Amino acid sequence: MQPRTPRSRKPRLAAAAAAAAFALVLAGCAGSSEAPEPSEVALVDTGQDIEQVTVAFPGSLANLYIGQESGILNYNLAATVQEGLVGQDPDGQIVPALAESWETPDDTTYVFTLREDARFQNGDPVTPQDVVFSIERAVDPESSPGTYYYLTNLDTVEQTGDREVTVTSKTPDATFLVSLSSAGALVVTQQEFWEAHDGGIGTSDSLLLGTGPYQVTEFQPDSHVLLERVDTWWGGVPKAESIRVNFIPDASTRLAAAQTGDIDIAFNVPITQADDWSSIDGVRVESMNDLSYVGLLFDQNVAPFDDLDVRTAVALSIDREAIAEKLLRGYGEPATAIMTPESLATAFDGDTARAELAAIPQHDYDLEAAQQAIAGTAGEGLETELTYPNTGPQLGVAAQAIAESLGEIGMDVSVREVPIEEWLATIGDGEHGLGFMWYFSTTGDPAEVNSYLLGPGNPNGFESEEAAALITEANALTDPAERAAKLLELETLGADEVVNAPIWWGKSVTAFSNTVGVTDYSPYTFTSTWGASLFAAEAE
Amino acid sequence: MTSRTRRRSAGSRLARIIALRIASVALILLVLSFLTFTLLYLAPGDLVKNLLGNRPSTPEAIEAVRAQYHLDDPFLLRYADWLLSALRGDFGVSIRLQQPVTSVILSRLGVTSLLIGMSFLLAVITAIPLGIVSAARSGTRIDRAASATALFGLSAPSFALAILSITLFAILIPVFPAYGAGTGGLDRLWHLFLPAAVLAAGIGAILMRMTRAAVLRELEGDAITFARARGIPERAVRRIALRSALIPIVTSAGLILTFIIGGTIIVETVFALPGIGQLLEEAVLFKDLPVVQAITLLVAAAIACITIVVDLSYLLLDPRVRARELSV
Repeated sequence: MQPRTPRSRKPRLAAAAAAAAFALVLAGCAGSSEAPEPSEVALVDTGQDIEQVTVAFPGSLANLYIGQESGILNYNLAATVQEGLVGQDPDGQIVPALAESWETPDDTTYVFTLREDARFQNGDPVTPQDVVFSIERAVDPESSPGTYYYLTNLDTVEQTGDREVTVTSKTPDATFLVSLSSAGALVVTQQEFWEAHDGGIGTSDSLLLGTGPYQVTEFQPDSHVLLERVDTWWGGVPKAESIRVNFIPDASTRLAAAQTGDIDIAFNVPITQADDWSSIDGVRVESMNDLSYVGLLFDQNVAPFDDLDVRTAVALSIDREAIAEKLLRGYGEPATAIMTPESLATAFDGDTARAELAAIPQHDYDLEAAQQAIAGTAGEGLETELTYPNTGPQLGVAAQAIAESLGEIGMDVSVREVPIEEWLATIGDGEHGLGFMWYFSTTGDPAEVNSYLLGPGNPNGFESEEAAALITEANALTDPAERAAKLLELETLGADEVVNAPIWWGKSVTAFSNTVGVTDYSPYTFTSTWGASLFAAEAE
Repeated sequence: MTSRTRRRSAGSRLARIIALRIASVALILLVLSFLTFTLLYLAPGDLVKNLLGNRPSTPEAIEAVRAQYHLDDPFLLRYADWLLSALRGDFGVSIRLQQPVTSVILSRLGVTSLLIGMSFLLAVITAIPLGIVSAARSGTRIDRAASATALFGLSAPSFALAILSITLFAILIPVFPAYGAGTGGLDRLWHLFLPAAVLAAGIGAILMRMTRAAVLRELEGDAITFARARGIPERAVRRIALRSALIPIVTSAGLILTFIIGGTIIVETVFALPGIGQLLEEAVLFKDLPVVQAITLLVAAAIACITIVVDLSYLLLDPRVRARELSV
């Protein structure tokens, strides 16, 4: 659900003074063929320390603990402050974090060995008891309403040695390990710290305590968060002495702040403003596939969307190519399925993944076929509403285009922007038959989104024992290719029934000042210890 | 009756007037708290979804969260719970921020009060003199220019004005910061100047128009005509007119002060200021009931205080009111 995934944890801290040139022509690295013109700035790592990196967030955080508030920006911030047992590298592969190694003696048992040099930011060593405590908090819906779901398959967790923690899952589960990362549900904190604040952590009074390269030293909701580097991180000491994250909700103000030279990194630049940002002197704009999915949701409990012909007609009325190229200006890729090509990286390379996903039954734009499908159904002449969240203006422009096409096949769809909170409440509420699904996967696991949308308890009112069985079977498979094959079967089942209509896979647009570089920039960057990947740069 | 007893009874009468006003304010606050509670209860959105986010969830977890926040209690019971705690001075814990409501509000109050104070001051010191000059020179070029300025201030939406002022005074002529509340002291005043000026523009325009109308009405009134006829010098005539115009001016200034409180939501959002306005907006959307209730009451109480002060000022400004209200 939430945001995207983490990334590399090899921070190149040893960066020699000798300048290594990093050509930041990265947009293509995740394999998208539709990438907009990448920025052509070549950066040189000066090897210097940076006094402060100023980051602009497009909205405020209310709470810094991802268990309590778990939007993508919460993940982005926590990722460089708190770690899980494991992490993800720039390709999304699982790599050691607090655990230096792990063994899986059987399909449901994970034995983690903690790093000897792992320390909290207050200097205390990380104990197995702290890890056990943190996992117990993460799986409790009351202390962690935002993340507990990732760990519903957790069976037991216990300390089994001086530096050893053993975790078991209820069933064999290929997604389980990544759930124990900070991109999933686990951010390890100290038991003593949690108890001293009676569980109310992540607020401006209690802040956070973690093991990452940066420590939160100040937090004021609606204003800013201040992170300062520590020397307790096992990975070394990062280059930026501090990172100040400013919350600037208004897009014009954010742009103005960048124009005055006040911003080093801006997250989630609106697509409509990308040109304005890249025309600022000394600023480059990077887009990156962000593992997000946008599609239409049909609630089968709401007539006439219980009718396969109606759903098919709607799916046939979406001009995905035009939306991605014209309306999203290339900052999005037409989706042929729910799971993204990047999420299949462990099984296929980018081109093969795209080919496999395109082989799933498609409902390409075809208004004539849509008219035939809707003829004689209750969908003819239907008046309905399509709402989209105010935080996704790009969904709004797509909604207008879709409503126009649907108008041509005789459906009268009015489009309405609502606050994201109101939009969340419409998902699967049994009243809104037609809606958007917009989901950021943080872990990048291929089953994360499609098992939510097609599996038991999905918000579409789609009931299928076959789909449930496919998900269980897929998650029990450890071989990435076999698992991908099962998930492709699941997507095929979903496409045959038109449970959802995929529209696009998203890209995030991030603006960087040319005085700051990021090593190994990938879709997983900002959900891992990104603070340590920043370096002082000069444009060549 | 001696003059001393008369003064004493006037004093007790004043105390009674104030006590009555305070009692009616308390009643209004009670009704308002119930209305806010009801409206937020009925508003779209779902607290559980806001907490769980766009992810799957298990029925047991939803139940646990609903129980944690007493969402399954009957509506009236929830209101009574809130009211009893509030009467004891306990406004609860913000669901969104996970902090006591009183400390959350206290941490925001400084920025918003300063913002409101500065913009009110800016509006008063520019609009009232401008309105007086406009009335005195009615029909001249000065009057037309002042009226046009006021029209602009009145009709420009404050978000547009805010963005325009950032473009002009933070980017093109970089004298003020584009956003943020600064670090306190002079830095804060400097950061709040642009937002305060934007807020002041709209209300200043109203205040200028009202001042102009009030002064003009007095200048054209019979009393002034007679005063002139009696040969009283023009300066003194103007002073008499101004004094009579003070009541409508003070009334509109009070009204306008209550107006600014609403305007802070937009201005705080555009200028990224951590104040009460942004806090209220987000709390309403999230259905963070304890925060919404506390802010609504705070704002209502502030408005009530302003109204009482304005009413009491009539006693000071107008001997006729004083005589009517305070005589036995």
